Amino acid sequence: MNRTNALIELDAVTKSFASFEVLKGISLSVKDGEAVCIIGPSGSGKSTILRCINGLIPIDGGRIRVGEIEVHKLRSEKEMRPLRHRVAMVFQQYNLFPHRTALQNIMMAPVQVLGHDRREVEERAHRLLAKVRLSNKADAYPGQLSGGQQQRVAIARALAMEPQVILFDEVTAALDPETVKEVLTAIRELVDEGLTCILVTHEMKFAREVAERVCFTDHGRIVESGPPAQIFDAPQDPRTREFLGQVL
Amino acid sequence: MQWPLTYHEKKRVVQLAIVLALAGWIAADALLGGAAYWQRVWLRLPLLLTGSGSGWPLTGGFALNIFLGLGSMALAAIMGTLLAFGMMAKSRLVRLPCFFVMNFLRNSPWLVLLFAMLYIIPFNVRLFGVSIAVPAFVKAVIGLSLPTAANFAEIIRGAVQSIHSGQWEAARALGYMPMAIYSRIILPQALRRMIPGWMNLYALLMIATSLATVTGIQDVLTTLNTLLSMENERVIVYFYITTLFLFFAYCYPIALLARRMEQSVKGDTL
Ligand SMILES: Nc1ncnc2c1ncn2[C@@H]1O[C@H](COP(=O)(O)OP(=O)(O)O)[C@@H](O)[C@H]1O
Ligand SMILES: [Mg+2]
Repeated sequence: MNRTNALIELDAVTKSFASFEVLKGISLSVKDGEAVCIIGPSGSGKSTILRCINGLIPIDGGRIRVGEIEVHKLRSEKEMRPLRHRVAMVFQQYNLFPHRTALQNIMMAPVQVLGHDRREVEERAHRLLAKVRLSNKADAYPGQLSGGQQQRVAIARALAMEPQVILFDEVTAALDPETVKEVLTAIRELVDEGLTCILVTHEMKFAREVAERVCFTDHGRIVESGPPAQIFDAPQDPRTREFLGQVL
Repeated sequence: MQWPLTYHEKKRVVQLAIVLALAGWIAADALLGGAAYWQRVWLRLPLLLTGSGSGWPLTGGFALNIFLGLGSMALAAIMGTLLAFGMMAKSRLVRLPCFFVMNFLRNSPWLVLLFAMLYIIPFNVRLFGVSIAVPAFVKAVIGLSLPTAANFAEIIRGAVQSIHSGQWEAARALGYMPMAIYSRIILPQALRRMIPGWMNLYALLMIATSLATVTGIQDVLTTLNTLLSMENERVIVYFYITTLFLFFAYCYPIALLARRMEQSVKGDTL
């Protein structure tokens, strides 16, 4: 792979919490417009990888680059601002702001953080709500929405920042089986439109369909990575085989 | 009502029984000669409430306790907010002393703090060359506001920390700066959880204002004591019951409302 044209590049990233080494040298590069899925057992460091990419947690060693931004060199929240504009994140627990309506949740950051024009942002928010098929829920509070609806609002909120990359952290793990589909449909559209996505997921079927590449992590390392067909149908590493045997 | 009773209905029945028993006892006592004593209490009630026999102007009595409670609460709100932000500061140099102060004030007997203020604060303070007398009322306000401020700060800290950490994470991921996260996301949510705690604290403070009698201000207890020296012994009980009821009648509705709000906040998702 040509490393220089990668949009996101992680190089030998290490991270410890106290004495516990969570990431033991993660190297990964993602091209512009690519959809990469990260799979692996729980506790293997998948969420930590995503949090490091958008600077939510500082890394101990290695290098992370997003576009021309060298993430490992950023020291303060203020320096992180351009990074946060470029990289949005959607969480397992939605993390919508419960004291604001769906529409306000989407509009807040573009207006308050990016300083975009309120009227223009409102138009954008309505457009995004329509995109995730929630036009009729603009004035609902998160507490009045189902899990799947909340997660779609969270996706619209991330999109409202007009990011180049979106990180999805097990966004369907907390949902009922019947609402998982509506969220996955929304994500699939984004991937088809060419937005760069890194998805941590347990939905193997979905990963196989949307991802251009799948990475399998275990104990803080990327054990194996490649096209979905290779990972799912002909896994090389015994650990990958064991994991897939359990979940498939 | 259907049998068997729910927990809530049982509670209602017990409450009703207690109120009826109390009313019955008072009525029986009134018939056995208590009515005359109640008459004396009724006669003195304006004095107990306002500090003046005619009921006006408000120079003391229970009205002074209310002023004292409001004044202390206002001062405690200011000091408590500062203390809370100190306890949540990033720098250890700020955080640790604030924690020490909070713990010290929260774990001291209120009466001791009140006495301490009585002796620590001078009778006169010199400000810009002008000597200003410090009235006992001001000392009482300061003395009561100290422990209240510490509790006030703990309520703020508890509410802020009860906000799910995912809110912080989501806000940071959207590019918010720490100060903006507090003002736009954390505090608006935490405030709903603080208000019931503050109301309970105010009710507690109101009860504690009766301690301020040691500063010599003409609050309801001082008034009562002066009054009792002129009354016969048998009637004292009736006066004390009345005073007790004054505090109860003022504080219980506040506590009740606080509990209601707590229940409604609990229903919030996240
Ligand atoms: N803030 C933290 N402090 C301490 N340990 C953490 C923290 N975040 C994650 N961990 C630990 O790091 C490991 C990997 O976590 P995570 O990246 O969330 O795994 P995954 O998302 O793959 O399930 C887990 O064992 C977890 O307990
Ligand atoms: Mg995780």
